[in-house]
Amino acid sequence: MGFRFLTLIRPFMGIIPEVASPDRKVAFNQKVLWTVITLLVFLVLSQVPLYGIMSSDSSDPLYWMRVILASNRGTLMEFGITPIITSGMIMQLLAGAQIISVDYSLREDRALFSGAQKLFAMLITFGSATVAVMTGQYGDPKSLGAGICLLLIIQLFVAGVIVILLDEMLQKGYGLGSGINLFIATNICEDIVWKSLSPLTVNNGRGPEFEGAIIAFFHLLFVRSNKFRAVYEALTRSTLPNLTNLVATVLVFAVVIYLQGFRVEIPVKSARFRGHRASYPIKLFYTSNMPIMLQSALASNVFMISQLLYRRFPDNLLVKVFGVWEPYQGSSQFFPTSGLTYYMTPPRSFLSTLKDPIHFVLYVAYMLTACAVLSRSWLDISGSGPRDVARELREQQTVIAGYRETSMYKELKRIIPTAATVGGVIIGILSISADLLGAIGSGTGILLSVTIIYNYFETFAKEQAELGGLGVAGM
Amino acid sequence: MAESTAVKRAPVAAGDGPRHLRARRGGSSASGRGGSAGGRQVSRATGSTQTMMRLYTDDAPGLKVDPVVVLVLSLVFIASVFLLHIYGKLTSTKD
Repeated sequence: MGFRFLTLIRPFMGIIPEVASPDRKVAFNQKVLWTVITLLVFLVLSQVPLYGIMSSDSSDPLYWMRVILASNRGTLMEFGITPIITSGMIMQLLAGAQIISVDYSLREDRALFSGAQKLFAMLITFGSATVAVMTGQYGDPKSLGAGICLLLIIQLFVAGVIVILLDEMLQKGYGLGSGINLFIATNICEDIVWKSLSPLTVNNGRGPEFEGAIIAFFHLLFVRSNKFRAVYEALTRSTLPNLTNLVATVLVFAVVIYLQGFRVEIPVKSARFRGHRASYPIKLFYTSNMPIMLQSALASNVFMISQLLYRRFPDNLLVKVFGVWEPYQGSSQFFPTSGLTYYMTPPRSFLSTLKDPIHFVLYVAYMLTACAVLSRSWLDISGSGPRDVARELREQQTVIAGYRETSMYKELKRIIPTAATVGGVIIGILSISADLLGAIGSGTGILLSVTIIYNYFETFAKEQAELGGLGVAGM
Repeated sequence: MAESTAVKRAPVAAGDGPRHLRARRGGSSASGRGGSAGGRQVSRATGSTQTMMRLYTDDAPGLKVDPVVVLVLSLVFIASVFLLHIYGKLTSTKD
């Protein structure tokens, strides 16, 4: 069955676009250049509105996913990296569960597998574009006309293919890191910069106010005669981003970076060369930001289903137990107000936790369990569990100092799952506290972007070290 | 970043990895910086569970596209959407 599936892909391999690998190692400066260009293309794509949209201000069913998917509503980046993530996740799950058998040591299997992922991602793009247009997400398809509908689908599809290609380009060594991570981090950082420096003015009945928190702070300082009140207002205004939010964001950034340094160093030594010692670090955040990413992917799917169900059958008791959705304070965005999904949404602010402590307690319990369990099971899915690490060490002919090769697995089994679980819980706690403090861009978003940016720093440092090493060797 | 490279490395290492590693090992210990090189070799594999799409660096038989072509393609695409917008603006004002 398994091999048959991959062979099914073979006839399509000819039409799947594929970025040619660089024929020599790309220099660090050039990598930076490629990365910046990719980033610019992405930024433009996520600002250009789709041509032909009539309206897009109905409640957004994907609202909860926007952060992790780097997508912007109504723009060419409507789907962001959704197709890539969905197809990658499904294919890896299928391969992990041995439903599709892939022999990673075979060159052809690897090629077919990545081809299958890309093909699948393109199909998903096309499918969801068609569904989005036909269900009237951009206005009634009849009044849009067939031509505009087709144009919309083409725009969405081409944009999707471009994102896939850009991601592949970066991964193949032209740029730094992967496109997915770059796009997520950019999207969130853009949000943070915008909310702190936005020059837009909004009038909420107290005279014009700037949207950006920092600009608003200085503006209020100059305008208001009572300076003390001005500072107070800049810190606590509730409808627009305030300075406390900004401080909270910076705080969460700092804490995550501090915790990134926590690791257990397992001393390893080479079995072949006497006296060749090194250490194998196991990070506290062993699974990095995966728990939070999986958790939000899970939650947003549940939210989407619940919201659709509630709109279709608002009187069904089971649907009501699942979640009751109502628009929040004048906006057209729906939020759950009771039911199961209500306990899966973060509390709106610190005050609302005092108003509804049960919600808070249940939310914390759900969050921590979900993060711990997902983090733990990600080890098996991704093939980075103790067994895999032990095998990898054995292949590199290294053993943990003071252990036999056979008991290595036991020792790793003691450390790695613990690190994964505790790391997951801590990520969960951080995400909750970021939400409570009102950090800009939601707890999930900040955690994602910090871990991604931190990884980028590590890559930079490594590249620089390699450059330095080569320089020394050259002399 | 580290993630993607490591994910890609792992399966490759299953095939012809050990030989290649052994060569590196020997070379690095000869140059006297064995410890750090070994450490880097190993540490590259940690925390490497992030990327969603496993793409492999070795070439697959597909429609080969140069990265420059990808860039040009995306720029042309963006430009054409811009043109569509401008065209839309012009026609709607004439109505």
